Amino acid sequence: MTTIAPALADPPTTNPPVAADGLTLLAGDRVLIDRADLRLEAGAVLALTGGAGAGKTLLLRALAGLPLPGVAQAGQAHVDGRRLLIAQGGRMAPQRPLALQAADVIGHHLGLDTSAALRRMADALDRMGVPAAARRFDLPPDRLPDSLRWAALFALAIAVGPAVLLTDAPAAGLDPTVRLRLLHRLADWARESAVALIVAGRPEDGLDGPADQRLALHGGRLLPTPADPTPLPAPNPARGRAGTEVMTARSVTVSFPLGVSPTGEERRLTVVHPLDLDLADGETLVLLGETGSGKAMLARALLHLPPPTKGHVAWMGRDLAKADAAGMRRIRRDLQPLFPDPAAALDPAMTVGGQLATVLESLRPEIPADRRAHRVADALRAVGLSADTATRWPATLNPPEAARVGLARALIPEPRALVCDEPLATLSAEERADFWDDLLTARDRRRLPVILTTERVEEGLRHADRALVLLMGRVVESGDADALLHHARHPYTQAMLSAARGEAPALDGDAPSALRPPDGCALRLRCPKARSFCAQAVPALEQVAPGHQVACHYWDTP
Amino acid sequence: MNPRSDHHTRRHGRGAAGLALLAALALACTVAPLLSDGAAPLRADSDPVLTALTDGRGSLSFALLSGLLGAGLGLGWAVLATALGERTERRLMAAAARLAGLPLALLAPLGAGLMGGGLPLLALLVAVSAAPLVAGLAHGELRDLLRREFLIAARAAGLSQGAILRHHLIPNAVRPLLAAGAVALPRALAVESFASLLGLGLPSPVGSWGATIGLAARLGDGLALIPAALLLSLSLWALHAVADEALSLAAEGPHGGAATDARA
Ligand code: SF4
Repeated sequence: MTTIAPALADPPTTNPPVAADGLTLLAGDRVLIDRADLRLEAGAVLALTGGAGAGKTLLLRALAGLPLPGVAQAGQAHVDGRRLLIAQGGRMAPQRPLALQAADVIGHHLGLDTSAALRRMADALDRMGVPAAARRFDLPPDRLPDSLRWAALFALAIAVGPAVLLTDAPAAGLDPTVRLRLLHRLADWARESAVALIVAGRPEDGLDGPADQRLALHGGRLLPTPADPTPLPAPNPARGRAGTEVMTARSVTVSFPLGVSPTGEERRLTVVHPLDLDLADGETLVLLGETGSGKAMLARALLHLPPPTKGHVAWMGRDLAKADAAGMRRIRRDLQPLFPDPAAALDPAMTVGGQLATVLESLRPEIPADRRAHRVADALRAVGLSADTATRWPATLNPPEAARVGLARALIPEPRALVCDEPLATLSAEERADFWDDLLTARDRRRLPVILTTERVEEGLRHADRALVLLMGRVVESGDADALLHHARHPYTQAMLSAARGEAPALDGDAPSALRPPDGCALRLRCPKARSFCAQAVPALEQVAPGHQVACHYWDTP
Repeated sequence: MNPRSDHHTRRHGRGAAGLALLAALALACTVAPLLSDGAAPLRADSDPVLTALTDGRGSLSFALLSGLLGAGLGLGWAVLATALGERTERRLMAAAARLAGLPLALLAPLGAGLMGGGLPLLALLVAVSAAPLVAGLAHGELRDLLRREFLIAARAAGLSQGAILRHHLIPNAVRPLLAAGAVALPRALAVESFASLLGLGLPSPVGSWGATIGLAARLGDGLALIPAALLLSLSLWALHAVADEALSLAAEGPHGGAATDARA
């Protein structure tokens, strides 16, 4: 590997606010960061990406002048002016009301009194796009929704007005549309206020979008980010439209009892509103949506795990609700799930082989018991695991292995369809690419119809034939994957696509609480196109092109 | 580096030390009476350490007996509540929580005082005073277990309720339930010692640390008091350490697997 000093800008005349020259970090004689060179001008935004354990946190801490104990430093790291580090997880004192913390921090840095500090904080919250109505200064951070907590944390940094702001995994765990909006606002502020901003995170966090400069940490070296490491395939039109319908769901509704209201009526939380869905043979249908969209509940309801509250699901024309025990077992053999956390879906008290054999015993009783071990070994090898994985305990599997065991378990009864709920959620960027390969190979080899839920819109659309976009338990757009990828009509779909591409989504604010959904369109408090009529009626799905439906009153107004 | 793993090893250390200490105490208490001249030692003139060790036989074996009884009661309570469906479950567990909040330790001396004592009655009262705590802990563990994703995976594999119970629920429930039950042992020892201290505990031929401490305190005999008090506090510490360790091991799950779905 050659030493590449990333050429970031013309040689500056004055010292840039952040400069590192051959910065090396060592723990004992182990090199954690090897000769990192870095220059960042005022008003520049740098995305620093790297997988888990790549050393992002160490590098940030070294730049912030807070090296970890036991880590020795060589080379130069030079940071000019007031610097601020927002550490991983964005922790604030969990119990102290926000206003007091803001007054403390701003007062400490700028020497302002409480009311001046709070005024600065309010201006900063404006910059982060937090509407006045949502400001809960009196609450401790613990009781704020995550998105608001992050917005408040960024606002706090803005209010302090550092020369250099370092953020470690900023806004991690938020929905992509919310995360990208916050990051873009922070980056815009940095550019306007001539602050040097570093956002560090994993490659899959979409930090490259808001940044002007991109560096990646790999094997201890700091290098320019390689061009898109895993180019997504284009949707494959040759996979062909499919045959007959294999699964139909009609008016599927999922709701949970919330207890009895004071007036004596039963209150329920509806997470999936009556919804129809068809799956054709050989087709991949992706359910897209963020937290609270109801996609996972819908996927479970389709498998009767548990059955939907109302409506019915039929597999090959057989109603799941009417099937007897033997019939249900045949249906279960045909319809296999993949779980979002594959490790948690394995019984920790049973070996991998034991669990796969139990599935065979239950779903393929015609296979003689002495053939089972053989089948288990075959199934493990088919997903790229060695046959002796069968003897291992689930706790010894790493996430990619657990995901593969989950796939092997789903495939071992030779199902005729897969229902996958965020099957790659626990995997890192590189592991995802490999697992996609395995999943798609299994699908194509067996011509399996697949239902897949994901919040990664672009990834989902490129691997699917057709898509449903879900928002608070309702379908807001449906159509061919290709049509959605290039001609999405619903503001929510468009926002999710912008976020996936690293652009700033045109939605403001946060997803509303499922317990108090807004009247009318669920998006109306965030939607840039919303008008008063949006509050009056829930928009119904209407056809906008053959096979393409949208639920928005104003889909055709620009 | 990692504060959690550090904390972890320290706790493991405590559990092992507790277990070793308990074994040593049990051995010493069994062997000690053989060292005395055969007859029951007379308190006034015998070696106070020997007396305390002899008393340990009574205290520890009674704690084991009534603790096991209390653990059984508590576990039965929790399992029954979980099996009987939502409404009954809520009532039974609310009752357990309320009872666990009461000073149940008073039950043993009160009951023994009012009803004239006797070993079976005392054992029952001590067991009852430990049971609500065990029931609450065990119920929490069972609830966690029932929410786990692998049970849904088992249903997706077409297993019947019975098969899920046999293959998945019972093997995973054993460890957390045993751990919850272990909490009854230190509790039983503490309650019995308290009752004996008041003179309302184990009937007189059976020696006990509580009784010795009570007697020594009344007579102002510091020499007799110290060994008994020391052995009692050591045993309590050891039993607590073992129970804590059992609970943390149960939270870790079998074969090093996480018992909860929460991932770091
Ligand atoms: S119906 Fe109104 S609020 Fe909803 S997406 Fe369309 S324009 Fe926006």
